[in-house]
Amino acid sequence: MPSDLYTEVSFEEKQRLFDQVAADPRYKNYLYGCYECGICVAACPSARFYDFSPRKITQTLAREDVDLFYEQLNDDVWNCSQCFSCNRCPRQNSPGGLITIMREVAVKNGLRTTKEALAGYTRIIYKITTTGTQVSPDMLQEDAFPDWGPQVKEVSDNLDLWRRALPPETLHTTGLSWQVEERTMNELYAIWKMTGTLDMIAELDEGLHDIMEEIMDDAIEESGLLPG
Amino acid sequence: MAKADTVLIVGAGPAGLEAARTVAELGKRAMLIETKDQLGGTPYAYYATLTPDLQETEHSMQEILDAVEHHSAVDVRLNTRVVHSEGSLGAFHVTLDRDGAQTVEEVGAIVVATGFQHFDPGRETQMYGYYEYDDVITLVDAEKMFKDGNIVRPSTGLPPERVAFIQCVGSRDRQIGNKYCSKVCCGIASKQSIEIKRMLPNAKVFIFYIDMRMYGFWEDQIYWKAQEEYKVNYIRGIVTEIIRKGDKLLIKGEDTTMGRPMEVLMDLVILSVGMEPSKGTVEMSRIFQIPREEHGFLQVIGGPLNTVSTPVPGIFVAGAAAGPKDIEDSVSMGASAAAKAVGALKRLELEVR
Ligand SMILES: Cc1cc2nc3c(=O)[nH]c(=O)nc-3n(C[C@H](O)[C@H](O)[C@H](O)COP(=O)(O)OP(=O)(O)OC[C@H]3O[C@@H](n4cnc5c(N)ncnc54)[C@H](O)[C@@H]3O)c2cc1C
Ligand code: SF4
Repeated sequence: MPSDLYTEVSFEEKQRLFDQVAADPRYKNYLYGCYECGICVAACPSARFYDFSPRKITQTLAREDVDLFYEQLNDDVWNCSQCFSCNRCPRQNSPGGLITIMREVAVKNGLRTTKEALAGYTRIIYKITTTGTQVSPDMLQEDAFPDWGPQVKEVSDNLDLWRRALPPETLHTTGLSWQVEERTMNELYAIWKMTGTLDMIAELDEGLHDIMEEIMDDAIEESGLLPG
Repeated sequence: MAKADTVLIVGAGPAGLEAARTVAELGKRAMLIETKDQLGGTPYAYYATLTPDLQETEHSMQEILDAVEHHSAVDVRLNTRVVHSEGSLGAFHVTLDRDGAQTVEEVGAIVVATGFQHFDPGRETQMYGYYEYDDVITLVDAEKMFKDGNIVRPSTGLPPERVAFIQCVGSRDRQIGNKYCSKVCCGIASKQSIEIKRMLPNAKVFIFYIDMRMYGFWEDQIYWKAQEEYKVNYIRGIVTEIIRKGDKLLIKGEDTTMGRPMEVLMDLVILSVGMEPSKGTVEMSRIFQIPREEHGFLQVIGGPLNTVSTPVPGIFVAGAAAGPKDIEDSVSMGASAAAKAVGALKRLELEVR
């Protein structure tokens, strides 16, 4: 089906991105074929809230519909919760896994829409890649989640005290979700680096990438985990 | 080779019955053995009515049962099973067991017609809760109620107002390992929906499907009839989960032609369970050394042009033991297997002379 969106992008460019997705080594185990039973959509929490359909993503890839693929790469893949409820597909497709691959290709190629979709997440990317924990107590400012009620202000005023009231010592943290061993952190840095995760972020947000690279390179060098 | 004129037929469903009748009519002796205490196979034991005209099963099958029971050349052995086999074409020595008493019979050729078993919905990979919810039943449970002349919600004993069939349970599913279509369940769900509407004209009946597969004459005899005369609702999309909501069942699926997730309440849900090789079929594969094809049924060697010869000379297969089939195809195969078995014996006679 020809898409009337993104007509300014050449077919060759769309095909190039499609080919990158299809060349991923996981692809052939994530996509067999689709007979449109709708089980994935029925199981999908995102489909209940957004105009989003794991079935359409899978069918588009199965049909090798490059135009529609490009539209979904820009407009749909970030609506997925990556919960993999759709893995109950009777054909053993993994729509969620296909979306993982598409997201990686979108990030690696620095798509404008991807940058926009992820702009709100730079703090989280920074936090998780530099500390190994995703959301820390001090990120929960009083106005962040109004639906959590007025007591959030009280808690955030005395955060350190509240945290120290928790029995496990490893939770006496405010800047991290829990204490992370230095060695664990260094190992994470080495993994982000070796797997190319760090490079992916460069396409997305160069400033963020540079800050993280500096932190990681120093730590990796000091730890002696990777040969110079 | 005194006894080489006997063909052993294992299993007395539609396929085995027709094989026995044909062997006898072609002038050889048929020994028909059956583990159960009655002839007629799965349909006779479980189903109230048969396609395409919804006649009572007992009535529909009476003629073939009479023909087999009353033919002097057919030796019927009920409550009997095969436990061992030696020898080859022209002289198989088969050990039969009846209530612990064993005999060895010499037969010239063998037709295996041990059929199928219903898929156990405890093994499905969605969340239908067959063993959890009283009002989730199978096609087979529904037939049992039809035999008593009614259809009710097991939880209350009252007639349902809204009934849903879910197709392809246990079939067409790589996760379960059954990659084949069971061929009959689309037709049977449609047949049952007609019967439900006849009993409960005000009930709303829905069939949730991936593809409706009613090939040949079942198209207008069953499918169009259900849709046009009985206003059965066909909805393209399969249910993934059933949840109890009050005293009703909430089913979650996608209406794929409308492209949206859907949640609706039902009083009764009927799972269209498919076919798997019966235990007897698997056992015969072992005892007679017949390989199984990739879906687990008995293998035949001729593709579409020889549907009954197994790789073992002198051993033939008929009916659902070789893959999902309706009665029409099972019976055709029964006659074909019988003809080939008798043919093999006749060729031996010529060689002996
Ligand atoms: C819910 C449902 C409804 C159906 N309704 C219809 C319908 O209306 N019309 C239609 O055309 N088809 C219908 N079918 C399909 C039909 O049941 C099959 O086509 C038919 O039963 C196949 O016949 P068969 O003789 O090959 O096997 P079966 O009917 O399964 O008979 C096999 C026989 O072999 C016996 N046996 C098994 N193992 C041994 C052993 N080791 N030794 C001796 N005996 C053994 C069994 O006890 C059984 O009697 C239906 C199927 C399902 C699932
Ligand atoms: S006959 Fe219909 S319900 Fe049965 S497996 Fe085939 S498509 Fe599914």
